Amino acid sequence: MLKYGLAYGLLSSRRRAREMLLPAITIATGAFLVVIVFAMSAGIKKQAAGLGHADEIGHAIVLIAVTVLLVGVVEAAVATTRTIAHRTRELGVLGATGVRSRPVLMALLVEPVVTAFFGALGGAVIAAVVGAVLGTVGAVSSGVSAGGTVTGIVIAVAVSVVAAVITSVVPIWRAVNRPPIKSLSAS
Amino acid sequence: MRLTIKDVTASQIVSQTETSPSPNVVLPASSGGTFGRLMRFAIANIRRRPERFVLSVLGIALAIAAVTVVRTISTSFAITGGDSVTNAIGGHAIWVVPAQGVTYDSGAGALVADGPPSDITLPAGWTGTEMIAGLWYSPHGQVAVYGVAGTPAGKAVMSAQLAQRLGVSDGGPLSLAGHTVTVSVSGGSPALTVSPDLAKDVVKNVGWWVADEPTADHGRNDLGKLFGSAVGLPFTQNPAQTPDSSGKGLVYDTTTGSGALSFAQKYASAFSGQVTDSTLGLISIIGLVLGFVIAVSSFLASVQERRREFGIMSSIGLADEVLYFFLVESGVVFVAAWLIGVLGAGVAVWAVLPHLATPVAWAQASATVAAFLPAMAIVGAIVPVHRLLQQRPVALLTD
Repeated sequence: MLKYGLAYGLLSSRRRAREMLLPAITIATGAFLVVIVFAMSAGIKKQAAGLGHADEIGHAIVLIAVTVLLVGVVEAAVATTRTIAHRTRELGVLGATGVRSRPVLMALLVEPVVTAFFGALGGAVIAAVVGAVLGTVGAVSSGVSAGGTVTGIVIAVAVSVVAAVITSVVPIWRAVNRPPIKSLSAS
Repeated sequence: MRLTIKDVTASQIVSQTETSPSPNVVLPASSGGTFGRLMRFAIANIRRRPERFVLSVLGIALAIAAVTVVRTISTSFAITGGDSVTNAIGGHAIWVVPAQGVTYDSGAGALVADGPPSDITLPAGWTGTEMIAGLWYSPHGQVAVYGVAGTPAGKAVMSAQLAQRLGVSDGGPLSLAGHTVTVSVSGGSPALTVSPDLAKDVVKNVGWWVADEPTADHGRNDLGKLFGSAVGLPFTQNPAQTPDSSGKGLVYDTTTGSGALSFAQKYASAFSGQVTDSTLGLISIIGLVLGFVIAVSSFLASVQERRREFGIMSSIGLADEVLYFFLVESGVVFVAAWLIGVLGAGVAVWAVLPHLATPVAWAQASATVAAFLPAMAIVGAIVPVHRLLQQRPVALLTD
């Protein structure tokens, strides 16, 4: 059943690709920052050293970049609440025809996960390209580290997907477990 | 909608009809005034979609937390920057820094010079002195050593905190790079003050000049120009300007020539500007923009869902009032996000940067961030309402 849920979710998210654009952009912005910060960590450490307390400021920069990524991910969850509101009747029909709540939960989770994954990946790839170009041109005196870029991409994608699931699961669960008659009669 | 009356006898209906208010009787108004009613309306709407409220508050709170952390760090820098320049130059009107400039050493907590004092001769009538200011790498970490004329040889003046850090007490001996000096605890400066000769021995010949104008020139606002042209050095009143490394030095006029801010305050803001202009500042501003996007997108979603409700309101002439509903709702979201954001930032700063930030800096940063909120809340409410009011009530009702 879960398999069908996922397939149903994928099909419906293709239909709603336009609605997924804004959250994907906000997540991409956050992911871009995270990857750039990790790729240029040597340069940023140098800048932090100029301010004193190099280690502490270095940690603060990473922490704030990840916070900004989370801000972007919250937009995916806000978009999920919009989706649920749009599809209330559809959820009612699914419930009334006896579809269990787990496959429906899966189907609805596809959208935030896909948004988070592709948004983060897009932002991360742009950041990696920008970093590589800046490194080649010599605009970044301290260089761009390949290892840092890969770490940044992994962190950006993993944090985005996990955070999107965590923030979206509660509103979806509440909607899925509403009595079908309520969902069907909603205006 | 169909009304059904159940289990009501005819007599009850009659008695209710008899006691129902006549059209002339004014219905009792709900308590709390206009604002109270708007608040109740806003809270009712929040309760209708609690998850969206929680999410938008969470998003904005995260963004506000990021900005508050950066502002806290920058305010801490401003406080240390202002204090350090006051400790370095005292009340002198002119400060001549070497071509290599001066830096703030965070380990020592004081300003030190990066090169030898400029080779100048004081113009006639001016009083001043060359001051040695360098770093001494003590066994207990870096210490700034200032060589101030008038300090008795063989004596080291320091604050109680520095004495504690170096493990010495008032009147006791201190071994200073091969010299033994007597400790004298007084004042609150983070630097160790000794005689100029001893300072030169310990930190080499690095430092700056401080000078004061002749009595006849008291109160003039072009002291920097006077002094600079007399000694042949460039001059400025702007502490953000740094000396040309190929020159001989730079004259800072520390009297308030332009603007109401003191030199120390300007120095402090230049110092904190380093943080807000850095990667840290840029990232936090992007975060705030994303937080604002979330607020607007969540309000737009809410407008979309409540089109009919607003259609009814505008059809009975309440079109303008819709803005108030949204203003109050947006205000509630932003105030809740601000509270959570600044508290979260306080915890984060306390956990990650305990040495850097002080509660005063945090409180100042929270107040600065609060200054952005009204504008964000108002724009956040106006955007969706504007879209709504562009449509005719009938269009809103028939969707």
